[in-house]
This record gives sequence, C-alpha cells and structure tokens, in this order.
Amino acid sequence: MGSDFYLQYILPHAGIIIKICRAYTNSQADFEDYYQEVCLQIWRSKDNFNQQCQWPTWIYRISLNVCLTYLKQSKNGDKHIVSDSLPDEVIDDSKAFANDEINLLYNAIKHLSETDRAVILLYLEEKTYEEIADIIGSNSNNIGVRITRIKSRLTKFINQLD
Amino acid sequence: MSKSIEQMWKEGFVNETQLTAPKINDLYNRKSQNIVDKLQQMFALNIKAIIGGSLVALLMFSLIGAPFLGLYICLLLVPLVIIAKKELRNSHQLSKGQSSYDYIMSFNAWLQHSIAVYARYYKFFYPLLFIGMAAQALVSDAGGKIIGLIVNIWPTELLLWGVPYYLLLIIVGIILIVTRFSDALYRLDLNIIYGRQFKKLEELIADMQELRQ
Repeated sequence: MGSDFYLQYILPHAGIIIKICRAYTNSQADFEDYYQEVCLQIWRSKDNFNQQCQWPTWIYRISLNVCLTYLKQSKNGDKHIVSDSLPDEVIDDSKAFANDEINLLYNAIKHLSETDRAVILLYLEEKTYEEIADIIGSNSNNIGVRITRIKSRLTKFINQLD
Repeated sequence: MSKSIEQMWKEGFVNETQLTAPKINDLYNRKSQNIVDKLQQMFALNIKAIIGGSLVALLMFSLIGAPFLGLYICLLLVPLVIIAKKELRNSHQLSKGQSSYDYIMSFNAWLQHSIAVYARYYKFFYPLLFIGMAAQALVSDAGGKIIGLIVNIWPTELLLWGVPYYLLLIIVGIILIVTRFSDALYRLDLNIIYGRQFKKLEELIADMQELRQ
C-alpha cells in the first residue's frame, strides 16, 4: 500500500475502523490484525468506490464486511450469547480505551450478536435509521425496533458488569 | 448506571483524535485473512499445483513405464484447471463495498456455486482416477503376475479380458463406493478447513434476514 494513500484516505478515518474492530475482537493482537485487514481491503477496494456514497460510509461498509468475514480463530472464539445473562468467559481487552465507561460499554457490546453489534455501533455513531439500513442492507422500519431491543439488553449487561 | 449508552459513547469519544491507530507493518505485502481472499489464494494455488502435479505425474508414470496413465491423469486434471480459473474470475466480481447483507449474500451465492461445481467435478474425478489406475495395474506385468497368483488360490473359469470375475466385481464395487462418497469426501474436507466460517456465515444470514423482514 502506498503510504500516501493510508495517510490521506485512511488515517483521517481511523476512528471509524478502530471503533468497529474493537467491537469484534477480544484482544489487542486480534484488534491489530483486524485493523490491518480493514486497511488492506480499503486499499484493494478503492477502485470500486464509485462515489454513490460518501467515503466515510464506504469505510464503514468495508470495516463491517471485513469484520464479519474475518478468518482468525480468536482465543475466545466468536461465540455470542443469546440469553440475557452474561457468560463466564473473560474478555482479555477490558482496558482498550482510556475511558472506563467506553470499556464497559464495549464489554457489553461484545456480548451481542455480530449483526446487533453493527447496528448499535452505527446508531451510536449517529447514523440515521435509513443510513444504518443502507450500510447493513436491511429494512429501515426494523432498525428502530431492533435498536430498542439492543439498548435494553446493553443496559442490562452494563448493570451486571458494573 | 446513571448515564444512557448514548451519553457514555458521546462523552467517551468526545476527543476522537485520542484514538491511536496501530502501527501498520508492510501492509502491501500482507497476506489477507479474509475468507474471500483466502479462498481466492487457495484457487490460485490450486491451479499452479494442478499444472505442476500433472506434469510430475506424466513424467513419473512415463519413467515407470506407464506413460498412458500419466497422460490420462493429466487429461483428467484439465477440467479442474478450467473450473478453478473460472471460479477465481467470478470471485473477483465480489465487492466488499456493498451493504453487509448484499455482500454476505453474494459471497454465499458464489461460495455455494463453487462448492457445487467442484463437488460435481470430484464425483467424476475420483472414480475415473481409480478406473485408470486399476486398468494400468491389470495390464502391467506385475499385475499379470498377481492375477496369476490369485487365480491359483481361487480358481475360476469365468474370466473377462483375462481377469477373474470376482476381481472385476471388487473393482466395480470400489468404483461405486468412491462415486457414492466423493461428494461427501469433498464436503467433509471443506468443513474441516472452513466449517467454523461456514457456520458463522449461516448464522449471519439468518440474523440479517430477520432484520430485513
């Protein structure tokens, strides 16, 4: 990858990639691998960018699609819980961010299904329901209902973790 | 918890520039860990390995006095090279910039199509390979001697092309078994390598479809 491309087109939006990759990984090593994979795929896909969406939206899409199809076998696997109680598994990344509340929130987000993680991350990034539906490829009418459900589960998780 | 999750997020990321990106090491030469790229690499490697392998087989069988078997294996592998090249071309049409649902669905469609195409090929390849090897064994000098020994032990007057009928029945039986299980063998092989990813893909599709309904 040309370092110019990284500095000019990726680094200014690194925050997006970091926030998404952190939600799909449980360790610093996994996070770094995912981050590099997303950067690689953005660079490889740059010729497909047809300006039908904005560049940050393109980065959201690629970041999510890469995280959803990454091959690495993480230590804790990719299992997520389907019940509303927390499992005993340890997430080896509880101090990833400087802010403790963000770490707590991420710890809860990591217990959601992969699709729900994508929905809530985009919602927290203040994307509209239409934008979320467009990035994920779903129906915007269902996004609101799903967000309400995710928020209630997250609140429950956070209260358990806190 | 006194704050809403929206507040926690907003206040936690109030200064986004504090987020530190990890160091990028030799990214251009990095091998991808993405399942699409991994399969593309596998297809590309397959093509090279098949071409190399068939040339080695031709040379090896020629040296041991069975050039026709070498040529036969080469011819059997030609469709595999064509299939792998075609599938590789198709895979490059997948864009990671689509919506997650479209990307996952187009990836899944390509994957299922590729698996089906390869499975169809192996259904013919394994039995035909076995037939070729069995025919070569039967017409070879060593094979002739072994058949002579077998006939001495279990004599029979029912011979077809000089081969006792029960030996031919065993060969036919093995061919039927290989044909019957070639598809299962190929899928088992795939599942051992990519089973976890395939399961993850199924769960993702189910979840995303629920969100679309």
